[in-house]
Amino acid sequence: MVTEKFKFVLADDQKEALQEIANIGMGQAGSSIAQVLGEFVQLSIPRILVVPPEEVPTALAWNIGEATVSAVRQAFHSAMRGEALVIFGQHRCNDLADLMGYEQDLDHAAEIELLLDVSNILVGACLGGIAEQLQLNIGFSAPSLMADALPLEQLLQGSPVPWSTALLVEVNFRLETRSFACHLVLLMPDEEVKALMVAVDHFLESL
Amino acid sequence: MPLSVLVVDDSPIARKMLIRSLPAAWDIEIAQACGGAEALAAYRAGKVEVMFLDLTMPEIDGYQVLETMRQEDMNCLVIVVSADIQAEAVDRVMAMGAIAFIKKPVDAAKIEAVLRQYGIWV
Repeated sequence: MVTEKFKFVLADDQKEALQEIANIGMGQAGSSIAQVLGEFVQLSIPRILVVPPEEVPTALAWNIGEATVSAVRQAFHSAMRGEALVIFGQHRCNDLADLMGYEQDLDHAAEIELLLDVSNILVGACLGGIAEQLQLNIGFSAPSLMADALPLEQLLQGSPVPWSTALLVEVNFRLETRSFACHLVLLMPDEEVKALMVAVDHFLESL
Repeated sequence: MPLSVLVVDDSPIARKMLIRSLPAAWDIEIAQACGGAEALAAYRAGKVEVMFLDLTMPEIDGYQVLETMRQEDMNCLVIVVSADIQAEAVDRVMAMGAIAFIKKPVDAAKIEAVLRQYGIWV
C-alpha cells in the first residue's frame, strides 16, 4: 500500500512573501537586540527553506558548520500553531556571552538564561511579525532549553516529531566587530502549514 | 510631466507593497530595480527624480548606493524604506543625504506625509 505523503513545496511568490515578512520581523528583533547591546546590528536577509524534519539536522549542519549545538524550543499557538527552535552553534554561544558584555567566566546558569532571553526576542519578533502582517493571532509559551552542547544529529532524536514540514529561517546578526549567528526552525503540522499558506496567498492577493 | 520614481528592493514583494502604498493620484512613472547596481545604473542614466531605497540587499546595499550617489552629487531625492529600524540606521542614512526614513511594513499615510512635507506631491 502506498501512503500518500504530504509533500510541501513553496511556490516562488509564497517564498518571497514569507522572506519579506520574516525580514520585517527580524528588523524588529534586530532593533530590540541593538537596544540591549547598545551596538549597531548589521542585518542580513533571512533565508527560507522548507525541509522534511528528518533532514533538518543535515540542513543545519551545512549552515552552522559546527557539530555541537545548544537549542531552545518555544511553542506557539492560536491561529498559527507549532514549535519554534532556536539553534546556536557552540562557539556562537561564547560569542553571545561576549557580546552581551558578560565576564569570560559566565556561569552555566547565566549562559542558559542568556540563550533563553535571546531566543525569546527572536521568536517573538519573527513570528509576531509574521502573524501581524498576515493578520493572524498568535500566542507563545515560555521558552525552554532543549539541548545543551549536544551533537547536532541528536537534536531531534527522542522528541517524537509529529511534524512533516519544517520551515527553516536562517538568521544572521552581525556586529561591526564580532559575529553571532543563530538559526530559527519552525516545525508545524501539515494542516497548520496549509493554513499558513492560505494566509500567505491572501496576503499576496491583497498586493 | 510625470515624475520619474525608482523603487529599489531585492524583494519583489517589498516592491509591490511599496508601490501599492503610493498615492493613486500622484503623477509618476514608476521603474523598479532589484539591487544596488541596477539602481545606480538608472541614477547615472539620469532617470531618477525620486528613489525609494531599501537598505538590506545582497551585493550593493542601500548604504553603498547612498554613499556612491553622494560622491556623484546626488541629484535625486532618496527616501529610505527599511525593515532595519534601529535608531542608528535612521541617523546614518539621514547623515548620508536621505530626506526621509520609512519603516516596513510601509504605511501609505506616512509616505504621503513625507511627500507633502518636501513638496514632492501636493
